[in-house]
Amino acid sequence: MAMMTAEQYEESLEKLNLVVYMFGERVEDVVGNPIIRPSMKAVAKTYELAHRSEYEDIMTVVSHISGKKINRFTHIHQGTRDLLKKSKMGRLLGRETGCCFQRCVGMDALNALSIVTFDIDAKYPTGYYKRFLKYLEYVQENDLTCDGAMTDPKGDRGLPPHKQPDPDHFLRVVKERKDGIVVRGAKAHQTGAVNSHEVIVMPTLSMRKEDEDYAVSFALPSDAEGITYIMGRQSCDTRKLEGGNMDQGNLMFGGHEALVVFDDVFVPWDRVFMYKEYDFAGQLVEDFASYHRQSYACKVGVGDVLIGAAQTAAEYNGVARASHIKDKIIEMNHLNETLYCGCIACASEGHKEPSGTYCVNTLLANVHKQNVTRFPYEMARLAQDIAGGLMVTLPSEKDFRSPETAKWVEKYFKARPDVSTENRMRILRLIENITLGTAAVGYLTESMHGAGSPQAQRIMISRRANLPEKQRAAKKLCGIEE
Amino acid sequence: MLRVGVKYCGGCNPEYDRVALVEQIKERLEGKVSFVLPESEDVDIILVVCGCKTACADLSSFRGIKIRAVTNREEGKKFIREIIEREVQINAKAEK
Repeated sequence: MAMMTAEQYEESLEKLNLVVYMFGERVEDVVGNPIIRPSMKAVAKTYELAHRSEYEDIMTVVSHISGKKINRFTHIHQGTRDLLKKSKMGRLLGRETGCCFQRCVGMDALNALSIVTFDIDAKYPTGYYKRFLKYLEYVQENDLTCDGAMTDPKGDRGLPPHKQPDPDHFLRVVKERKDGIVVRGAKAHQTGAVNSHEVIVMPTLSMRKEDEDYAVSFALPSDAEGITYIMGRQSCDTRKLEGGNMDQGNLMFGGHEALVVFDDVFVPWDRVFMYKEYDFAGQLVEDFASYHRQSYACKVGVGDVLIGAAQTAAEYNGVARASHIKDKIIEMNHLNETLYCGCIACASEGHKEPSGTYCVNTLLANVHKQNVTRFPYEMARLAQDIAGGLMVTLPSEKDFRSPETAKWVEKYFKARPDVSTENRMRILRLIENITLGTAAVGYLTESMHGAGSPQAQRIMISRRANLPEKQRAAKKLCGIEE
Repeated sequence: MLRVGVKYCGGCNPEYDRVALVEQIKERLEGKVSFVLPESEDVDIILVVCGCKTACADLSSFRGIKIRAVTNREEGKKFIREIIEREVQINAKAEK
């Protein structure tokens, strides 16, 4: 099997034996759970589109190791063309789902490991790259979704891993065995964790010798013994339990995050890609972060949906011709396309690493992500401005359907005579969903903190900005000789 | 009959409905053109349907084959006209 269909993907998840908790109870049917299921459908879209001829040029690619056609989410970038198509794929899927489709993080982990395992082998007699390629072949052949797990709970942010009062606040090796290692700790904010077949663990920051037990990278089946998932809440999440098909806003798709706990989990050696090579932890973090900051191309696609919703709301409200409304829509487009510029630029300026993998331009990827920490918030503000306060004061769908209240809701929330009240309510609910409901987790706060918080990008921008060269240019022009 | 293989770009941000255009082309050229899979060995033309003028579809597997790209609806209609005119010319030659 080189590429799964959406149906095969869902069936494959049903075979997993994940230990998932939500609202204090074990979730027995993860795939069928109404709160989790929309997120599974969003990942399934990455499988569905790969089989449609009108999307296959972006969604599929020929594997450089097997020569087979594979889903791009399992691919190692072989040129800037691949990097560009990755950015375009993000926009496409963001627009088709209106939410986080969760699968980019595993792709980014695979690509980062394809660079770093090679580089570790160049310094030490470790054999990680060969091991990684074997794992990659398995992922590609089975078209797996991987969770790229980097963020540790981190405990006291002022202390390195080895000085934490609770040593498990960074995931670490607690035992070395002849056949592998035993790890303990957790990874937080794991997007799409319970929709994944595999979990790829990486260290979360640069490390020194004292932290070598924490410098570990490996991959495990997501249902490996000792792994527990605790689902994160999302604003308005229980609307999915209410029945009906209006108040959720996005009726089809969503995202999810989870805390993933590793309680003395065994990892066989053939799944270990870094073991105490602490001097490469920083590189793995940086490479992964650069790829993942590019991945925020998806927000451009969600932005497309938000712009479309804002324009529709303006039309339904009867204000689309007002000059200030037009200007706000222009501003939203300007912001969204500026985001697109960043993810295209860092891809087209990509470079070849010693392993042969192409990596994005780090400076431009960080600039792009820094923009993503800001622009979606402004776009959300503009969308709410255009939508009007009704998007947060609307009665529920049940009131809209109730024999006692339907006539009043219908009558008093009617705007243009040629637009149904129901359609007006639907578009306002979608704006609510993206800007402060379940999808705001992905569109706003994930834009802020996902792939590193704003300050992390500013540090990278500072490192890569090459100030001496800019100073040289300035001094030369005004005649300074030192 | 002319054998045309349809190859789409990836559709990241198309400026029009590419699939609807192809359906329209197929409908208008029914009986005049045989639409085949683009990877078919005996394909005469690859019709590349691109969502915008960037036209980034990967055509590396179609080397040596005649390529005809359309990037908007008007170019799609032009393609239809070309095929119809081509058939008219072929029929006229046959009658002579």
